[in-house]
Amino acid sequence: MVDNTHSYFVVAAVIAARLDKATRIARHLSITASNARALAFRAGEGASGFRPLTDYIHRLADLTVSSSSRINKIASELSRTAAEKERADRAIQYFADVRKRASDSPYLESLDPVYARTEGRQLQLKEAYNAQIKLLQGELNTLASELRAAGVLATMSRVEALQADDLYQQSLNNVADNVQNVTDSIKKHIDASQKLVTQLTQVS
Amino acid sequence: MKTHTLFEGNSHTWLMFGRDPAKPEKIIDTNQYMVVTKDNALLMDPGGIELFSSMLTTVIKQVPVDKITHLFASHQDPDIISSLGLWDQALEGATLHSPWIWESFIRHFGMQNINYNAIPDEGGRLTIDDVTLEFVPAHYLHSSGNFNVFDSQTGILMSGDIGAAMDVDDAPMFVDDFESHIPRMKLFHQRWMPSNEAKRDWVERVRKLNVKMICPQHGRIFKGENVERFLDWFDALEVGLTGQMLHG
Repeated sequence: MVDNTHSYFVVAAVIAARLDKATRIARHLSITASNARALAFRAGEGASGFRPLTDYIHRLADLTVSSSSRINKIASELSRTAAEKERADRAIQYFADVRKRASDSPYLESLDPVYARTEGRQLQLKEAYNAQIKLLQGELNTLASELRAAGVLATMSRVEALQADDLYQQSLNNVADNVQNVTDSIKKHIDASQKLVTQLTQVS
Repeated sequence: MKTHTLFEGNSHTWLMFGRDPAKPEKIIDTNQYMVVTKDNALLMDPGGIELFSSMLTTVIKQVPVDKITHLFASHQDPDIISSLGLWDQALEGATLHSPWIWESFIRHFGMQNINYNAIPDEGGRLTIDDVTLEFVPAHYLHSSGNFNVFDSQTGILMSGDIGAAMDVDDAPMFVDDFESHIPRMKLFHQRWMPSNEAKRDWVERVRKLNVKMICPQHGRIFKGENVERFLDWFDALEVGLTGQMLHG
């Protein structure tokens, strides 16, 4: 259980910030793919197996950028829902306090529909919050599994680099290393975000 | 929070709420006002979040919650209307009357169920059941978009920060000795009010209204001869102090 129930605002913001970093790194990956494609073209027939891999690197970069953008949007909506829920929670607390303090009021019953309405809204917001978390988890899991394939991609890039002329081998190996480093870095942010989402699910 | 009846007639009642003994420390004491008509109620400058619980407790001793169909915020300050997000949960379909220039700011307090009636700079009127109230422009006193509420039937002017004083928590409701009250309000008016021109214009307009009671948001109410005394004093007061005048 998260100690401070208000911390979910912070958690949602941290996820958004992590994904923003992942997006920036993915853009770097996209540049790497473009450079690799040009290099593979110059390396000629010996690097022909490398060219399809550059398409995959591009696809991975695009996927990370678009997925991060969707996740950012969900995180932002989640933060808004959390804020509305917090307001409803707080209103319920105040109404409960007023019920006690105004127990001698002839109009105390007029608070009942207000209380019921706010409880209904609180429930709706809780459901919306849970649905958004599920969506966020799904997006992060999809992205994480795509990134798992990136390790294979780096290995395949190294194998294909061996087929190229000596002149280009080092450069193509650098591309493979770059793919490995960049995807590792993105993976770190995704893993951290997945852990943070787990914290969000523990907020009642 | 104490409740004081300022006027009780066939068509409507004016109530004043304030002097809250449960008020948290370091929070300025505020006066809230409510006009209760046949089927509706207008709650004016309902206050900050910290006062919401006390305020609602006090209000539902007077009227059922669903009778509060109108809110008024003289300007955008937190002690005036930061409780809006909570009233928004309590009052479905009510209308908030407030200066047009503050709409996009006040909505930051949270407003999804209440409607916003943007009062134009020149002011306007609000008729609730058999009662017509006037929104009197009081711009730059102190807020750059600011209104008072005047009831010509009773002569009551809800003056917001005009006439406000820094007083003790359990201060009397009315100003008794005007001269001794001056030190409690002088600095507030000199420091908070930025424009002598706006002040003179307001005094000139208010003198024509046949005001019988000036009801500020902080401190005591002026009635009888103290209304004229206040207008004379305020007219002569140099406000918007700067530089040496401010510090010296």
